[in-house]
Amino acid sequence: MKVESDLMHNSPGTRRHLLASGAMSMGTLAAAWFAEQEAIADTKKPALERQTFDTLPKQTEKRASADAMISLWMQGGPSHHDMFDPKPLLEKYDGKPFPGEIKYDNAAQASSKVFASPWKFQKRGQCGMELSELIPHTAGIADEICLIRSMRTGVNNHGQSIRALQSGRVVEGRPSLGSWLTYGLGSEADSLPAFMALIDPGQLPVLGVENWSNGWLPSIYQGTVVRPTEPRILDLTPPAHLKGRVQKRALEFLEQLNARHIADHPGQLDLQARIASYQLAARMQTAATEALDLSRETKATQSMYGIGNPATTEYGSRCLIARRLIERGVRFVQVYTANQLWDSHGSIVGNLPKACQKVDQPSAALVKDLKQRGLLDSTVVHWGGEMGRLPVIQNDAGYNKIGRDHNTYGFSMWVAGGGFRAGHVHGTTDEWGHKAQDDVVNHFDYHATLLHLFGLDHESLTFRRSNQDKTLTDGQPGKVVEQLLA
Amino acid sequence: MSYLRTIICFATLANLLTVAPSSADDIRFESHVRKIFKKHCWQCHGEEDEVQAGLDLRLVRFMRAGGDSGTVIAETPEESLLYQRLRDGEMPPGETAKLTTEELEIVQQWIVQGAETLRPEPEVVTEAAFISDEERSHWSFQPIQRPAVPYSERQLNPVDAFIRRRLEKVASQHEQVEERTEFVLSPQASAPTLARRLYLSLHGLPPTPKQIESFISVADPGRVIDELLESPRYGEFWAQHWLDTAGYADSEGYNDADTIRSDAWRYRDYVIRCFNEDRAFDRFITEQLAGDELVTSPLNNLSATDAELLTATGFLRMAPDGTGGAVPDAMVARNDTIADTLKIVSSSLMGLTVGCAQCHDHRYDPVSQADYYRFRAIFDPAFDWQQWRTPVKRRVSLYTDAERKQAAEIEAEAVAIEKDRVKKQQEYIKATFEKQLAKLPAEIHEQARKAHQTAAAKRTPEQKSLFQKHPSLNVTAGSLYLYDKPASDRLAEMAEEAKKVRATKPKENYVRALTENGRLPKTHLFFRGNHDQPRQELAPAGLTVVSLSAQSIPDIPVKDEDLASSGRRLALARRLTSPDYPLTARVIVNRIWMHHFGRGLVRTPADFGVLGSEPSHPQLLDWLAAEFMESGWSIKHLHRLILTSQAWQQTPRDSDVLDRVDPENALYAGAAIQRMDAEVVRDSMLQICGKLNLKAGGPPVPVMADRVGRFVVGQENLNAGRPGKKIEMNGEEFRRSIYIQARRSRPLSVLATFDRPVMSPNCDRRRPSTASTQSLLMMNSDLVVEYSRHLADRLAKEQSTRDGQIRRAWELVYCRTPEESELQLAQRFLDEQIALFIEQPQYQPDTKNPPKRSAELESLSVFCQMLFSSNEFLYVD
Repeated sequence: MKVESDLMHNSPGTRRHLLASGAMSMGTLAAAWFAEQEAIADTKKPALERQTFDTLPKQTEKRASADAMISLWMQGGPSHHDMFDPKPLLEKYDGKPFPGEIKYDNAAQASSKVFASPWKFQKRGQCGMELSELIPHTAGIADEICLIRSMRTGVNNHGQSIRALQSGRVVEGRPSLGSWLTYGLGSEADSLPAFMALIDPGQLPVLGVENWSNGWLPSIYQGTVVRPTEPRILDLTPPAHLKGRVQKRALEFLEQLNARHIADHPGQLDLQARIASYQLAARMQTAATEALDLSRETKATQSMYGIGNPATTEYGSRCLIARRLIERGVRFVQVYTANQLWDSHGSIVGNLPKACQKVDQPSAALVKDLKQRGLLDSTVVHWGGEMGRLPVIQNDAGYNKIGRDHNTYGFSMWVAGGGFRAGHVHGTTDEWGHKAQDDVVNHFDYHATLLHLFGLDHESLTFRRSNQDKTLTDGQPGKVVEQLLA
Repeated sequence: MSYLRTIICFATLANLLTVAPSSADDIRFESHVRKIFKKHCWQCHGEEDEVQAGLDLRLVRFMRAGGDSGTVIAETPEESLLYQRLRDGEMPPGETAKLTTEELEIVQQWIVQGAETLRPEPEVVTEAAFISDEERSHWSFQPIQRPAVPYSERQLNPVDAFIRRRLEKVASQHEQVEERTEFVLSPQASAPTLARRLYLSLHGLPPTPKQIESFISVADPGRVIDELLESPRYGEFWAQHWLDTAGYADSEGYNDADTIRSDAWRYRDYVIRCFNEDRAFDRFITEQLAGDELVTSPLNNLSATDAELLTATGFLRMAPDGTGGAVPDAMVARNDTIADTLKIVSSSLMGLTVGCAQCHDHRYDPVSQADYYRFRAIFDPAFDWQQWRTPVKRRVSLYTDAERKQAAEIEAEAVAIEKDRVKKQQEYIKATFEKQLAKLPAEIHEQARKAHQTAAAKRTPEQKSLFQKHPSLNVTAGSLYLYDKPASDRLAEMAEEAKKVRATKPKENYVRALTENGRLPKTHLFFRGNHDQPRQELAPAGLTVVSLSAQSIPDIPVKDEDLASSGRRLALARRLTSPDYPLTARVIVNRIWMHHFGRGLVRTPADFGVLGSEPSHPQLLDWLAAEFMESGWSIKHLHRLILTSQAWQQTPRDSDVLDRVDPENALYAGAAIQRMDAEVVRDSMLQICGKLNLKAGGPPVPVMADRVGRFVVGQENLNAGRPGKKIEMNGEEFRRSIYIQARRSRPLSVLATFDRPVMSPNCDRRRPSTASTQSLLMMNSDLVVEYSRHLADRLAKEQSTRDGQIRRAWELVYCRTPEESELQLAQRFLDEQIALFIEQPQYQPDTKNPPKRSAELESLSVFCQMLFSSNEFLYVD
């Protein structure tokens, strides 16, 4: 098609465009065509009117080190005392009353008995990062990751803290991080949505669809759900009965209808664009199907992600899909764990190892795989949830029943790649692991830092709404945490 | 990123706006230089109380007088401080606000030429003096004068006369003489095409095969136009256009809770009614701006007419209003709602973007910041930001005195029944207790009676043990049914009766309205738009620039002594609907034109100011505006005028010459091809597949999130935050889109995909896109598959042969009969589809267990789906 080739000629060539199959981006074409149409429409006077939005790749004000992100979202609150943040003092006080003040979430089951981690910590990697025996594979990438031990949102429950981390503030209805990134950076995806949400076969995480909502940003920035089972993307793949040759033949018929129609309407750009849009949509189906097809990966790669092992196959598959999507230019992928997987109010001794086993190997494999493919430098990997846990026992009903309650005042998460400092531990909690103490990273600091790596400024990446310039951090004093940067 | 956009935006603006002088000698202060200073410098150097560096750049004599550093204009630009600072990028401050090279050159040349003004500058600096003659003479501020219709001898439709004259004029100036014959209107479209265009334009629904047949046999489009304008379908479609401009939503927006506006729909129905009745548009405007000031019955006892007048003021309550919930700053939220309302009023009725003047004088249009706050003062007695009323407090009950009295009587009746019931209950308990007691030894009777009369919690240990020993004595209201079922049934009946009586109360309904509360709050200019920094007090007034050009239009009083209310909005309505007001009729006429032709005579329907585009046919615009007013502001009259024109009835253009010369089709030498609006896509599919539910009016059909967050029609049924059982919608899911809930945070996915905007605060025109998500939705969504299956079922029911089914599908979807080659194409497609379906197990013929849908029927569904997906359906040509 004429329109398509002209636009392709003008499209920006980027690394990801070259990496990918070379097909012109769906959204890009439509958007470029639209922009062109607008330009034709208003050649004389500028339009002081509502902006039009697109997913064309955007230039950033600042140099960017990252251009894509995979967030491994551990909803529920992984226990930092047992995985990332060793506290020798707990051993001394194990079973004894906690001497200080504590913020409980569930007073009914609260106990002030200190609970030392039952799992051993060890220095890992060249950097000597201390990690627990629950995550041996993560230990293997200690030199690649930046462990933040001083995370803080300071709000009490899951919902609010999820919102703080996923959409910048504790209130409902805001755009999620992925929406902001695709709004600010556009898409480089060839035939794929820019923001994809890989949900767990179990229940949706707490807050469900809010996690990938575009909030009040235009809907083109909404996350596209990749379901854990077929059909993996809604409306992207045909319903079962139309699949394959049925739809292929149907689209041929559609082309015939459209060709006859356009013959009577020569020179109509809009009609041409829509014909192209169907062709590209069809291509997107193929591209996405290809991107989601793990049989194209070698046996070695598959087993690296733990595919084949019943404990890790499912999560490993999604991590591998995430890598394949990023390779094809997708801007932001978030991989969710099931509802409250990490919410260890009870039976932590039995449940936490299971949760760790599910994600440890796949998460580490993702980082290693991105590195060996030369993609880690420009891809941020994030591993973490909305909170950590308390140093004391919850539900003091026997060793196998005990758990730990919520703690949003101090917890751990790790980030890797995309310009984050590797093999580094940042910040501390107090000696009990209750509250973030030194070099505190609030959710808004994390967001400011993240946007910085993408070449964006958290104060100038704005969206005009109700007469206010809204931002991801919106009025919170976010600062770029220099020590986190490579 | 927004930073980059700003730069680009400013650069483009500057390039386009600085109407380039044709030569260096042509540079005039008034036409070229002044606007540069106005845009870049005046805010700090003139407008605000504190003039930076003592330098006022609003008049040339002030520049010569200079500021703290002396005069800023010298013999040469290089010696002039003014030029130096601009050239070196020191002024204006900030990264984004620099002058462009062109602007800088203009300033330089002007100083080279002696820094003169064309006319002497005003002696006294008043606000009016700052509106230059150039600004005052802007086309849209000039009075509307009815031009003579050209070629009167030819008896043309006046629309065609103006269109033709312009075509002929452009043709006569066209250099290639042999190409001049191309500058003509295209021939009239075929009858079926015209029928489809007409129905979709007036009803937003395609014609049925019967209607097309009748259109062809009547052979009089004018008659059909009249018929269509009388149908309720007309108002349901055209109201949406107005609701876009008014920013209609069924939710409050602003904050993230996006609370539902349960009474907004009455305004929606009011708008539909007005369009259907062809309410005179000046009246329609007046009711919306000041319906409450026209009300004569008391607010607690409204007549039906007055209830309608109050409903109309819902127009001023459409802006996002977060004040009923949590907002970061309540005062800001209130003022934002007022600001958004002013934006809606000015963009919908006045064709001006006054919003910029909230914080500083308008950079391009002659609207000062004081003007903005004077305009705001018109609305302040109603909004009254310091004694604000939340949305709930602003509701007006529709209870009449009679209804209120009736409700009280009914309540009394119910209370009487309840009293009676309590009495009966006591009697039953006592009787039953005695019956039980009789079975027990007499010596405990007295003691037991006493214990029974004591409340359970207050009984002594002895009394308690008595009841434990004789549990059958525990006769209570709760246990009565165990002893005496008929008695307890009777009590239940009485309770039910009371409930039934209460249910006969007239339902209390509310109107979403704007009213005043008796106060006349003072209006101050807010320095830089900040309500914490109030400056001078201002009296209500319309825009100065309009008052200067049209001196006969009514002014706004502070208080109209003849009214209970301030009368300010009523005066505004009178002003805007005065035949001498230059903007209103032009703005309305332009919108109607835009909806029929896909583009306005003025391309920017909400901006008739300096930044807006100029009319392509100024005389036609004025003639239509004048004719519109003389017809009694009849929208239907406008429709008839436009729709009977050849300009509207012609085919799309087919001319390479015009493609080259007039790529925008600004000369209207052919019909525009337009994509259906989102609502039209959905409603048309529903009508064609035979499911459309034409129930009119009433509360909106709810929208819910499905399991993956897509917004679909449905009643939300959450179970611990997750979707529960699907609630049957009983055909409500097939109602016209205008009746589906328009919640800002839950745009119906099928409509959002086809570019229906989310209101924030309103929408001046739709911007149809061809996004890939539209294609995916048509190809793969449950919704379109479902509608296509309904259509296939309909075809199978109405036609027994495949040939008949194909023909029927063509008639229903495309509104025409298929050509022979198209029939063959479709036949071949269906043959091949059936063969493909039969390969799938669930479609294999099986006498014992027949497939749910046969391969034939499923193929027909896919066929229908492709017709729905095709350009011929999605576009109106």
